[in-house]
Amino acid sequence: MGQGLEAAIVAVGQSRYVRRPEPGETTHTFIRDAILAALADAGMAASEIDGLAVTSFSLAPDVAIDLAWRLGLSLRWLHQDTNGGSSAMNMLGHAARGVHCGAARNILVVAGDATGLAGYAKIAANYNRATSDHLAPLGHGGPNGVYSLVTTRQMKAYGLEKSDYGHMAIAQRDWAAKNPFAVYRDPLTMDAYLAAPMVADPLTRYDCVPVVAGAQAIILTRPDAARGPHAPVHIRAVRNSFNFDNQRGDGLRTGISTFADDLWEAAGFGPDAIDVASIYDDYPAMVLAQLLDLGMIPDGDLGRFAREAIGRDRRPINTWGGMMSAGQPGGPAGGLNGISEAVLQLQGRAGARQVAGARRAVATGYGMTLYRYGGTAAAALLERAS
Amino acid sequence: MTPGVTVWRCTACGSLFFPRRLLCATCHSPDFAEAQAVAARIEEITEIRHVLGQTHWAPRRLANVRTADGLAFTVGLLDGSQEGEEIALFQDGTAPFGRRLKESAA
Ligand SMILES: [Zn+2]
Repeated sequence: MGQGLEAAIVAVGQSRYVRRPEPGETTHTFIRDAILAALADAGMAASEIDGLAVTSFSLAPDVAIDLAWRLGLSLRWLHQDTNGGSSAMNMLGHAARGVHCGAARNILVVAGDATGLAGYAKIAANYNRATSDHLAPLGHGGPNGVYSLVTTRQMKAYGLEKSDYGHMAIAQRDWAAKNPFAVYRDPLTMDAYLAAPMVADPLTRYDCVPVVAGAQAIILTRPDAARGPHAPVHIRAVRNSFNFDNQRGDGLRTGISTFADDLWEAAGFGPDAIDVASIYDDYPAMVLAQLLDLGMIPDGDLGRFAREAIGRDRRPINTWGGMMSAGQPGGPAGGLNGISEAVLQLQGRAGARQVAGARRAVATGYGMTLYRYGGTAAAALLERAS
Repeated sequence: MTPGVTVWRCTACGSLFFPRRLLCATCHSPDFAEAQAVAARIEEITEIRHVLGQTHWAPRRLANVRTADGLAFTVGLLDGSQEGEEIALFQDGTAPFGRRLKESAA
């Protein structure tokens, strides 16, 4: 598999993203809307779908098969992923291998949530046993309490200023202004960023992703079978890491550090060849950590990268606005949004935010806070056929 | 609230854990002995000032702490103790807390 998996993303679709769902709008309806959009994008009938992967924090008590039934899909390949911020990337890998091996011809990958604020708070307090036993009783306030400590650690380790993270929030807001689906599109200034209310020191309002309701879908097929209107986007390599350090590190490296070299080698190109990056942005600190682990900050100077590459040069990172400006549906769907954006960019369909000539992209996922930081990480390298 | 935080020591290799594991992450032995962590040093502090969906929230202070044995975990702070300070550890049910050594001795 020198040229990677014989699998390509041929279509993307998304529902609307909203802070507050209208009556009658549920996780299921957002997922349906994203699927309809993806099918239309592919020029494909629902009856042509024979594989389905789904992730959601708010589908319960339904699971993947219930969704298949409600959608009227008869399948021979079915998967449900539970890996939070890296679920989308995990589903992408499973689906790509499923298509490559012939387990299914056309696989629909969907992620969506409509938890509402109360539902989200409940999920945050009962995220896993370690959280409900050892963190929630402290009043840790969900992931903000965990990543505030990680962020302080990163600031001390790399000599970062608060404003360094601000460059990322501001740059992503500028990208979001060009994304009609983003929930926050008004420009953000450094003064406003620095003056924002403190949520969990040192995290302020603009460092914490806004919870939204919405869903995202993509369709995978074999490149030689693709006959839709858009250029297939090839999946050159996907790698995952789970519980790489047993929570015995400092959280400043991610599982990406375990596979980055192998990932680039499998794809046959390196970080310098990347035109667009979708880096899972649950918190700004974790974007820098993932970029470092990917080898995209070669000198290891996170502060300078934030100020110059992101702030000054507007390196195309999270060109849809990221979850920080576009919104995070529950958690799992955020990763799929990053993949979808990479596909749109590589297909030349990203509208006002199109990166000229974009040919290769990296997309990542990170998440599942086990106790002190995330326990899952994944990345994919995507390429438009020349 | 009782003094000390229960941690688990692998009886085969001595590795310490909090929270409890099923197998030792170092040697994969299933055998652990309970131990008490009574003190730790504060490495990072945060103050949780706002929580989604909570309108009457009293801010809480949390800290990442490390024991002399090198075990790191997250505690709730019961006083104004600061980064770098050594604190006494307490446990309320399954939840670890800490406060300044001096005051806890008083
Ligand atoms: Zn052991």
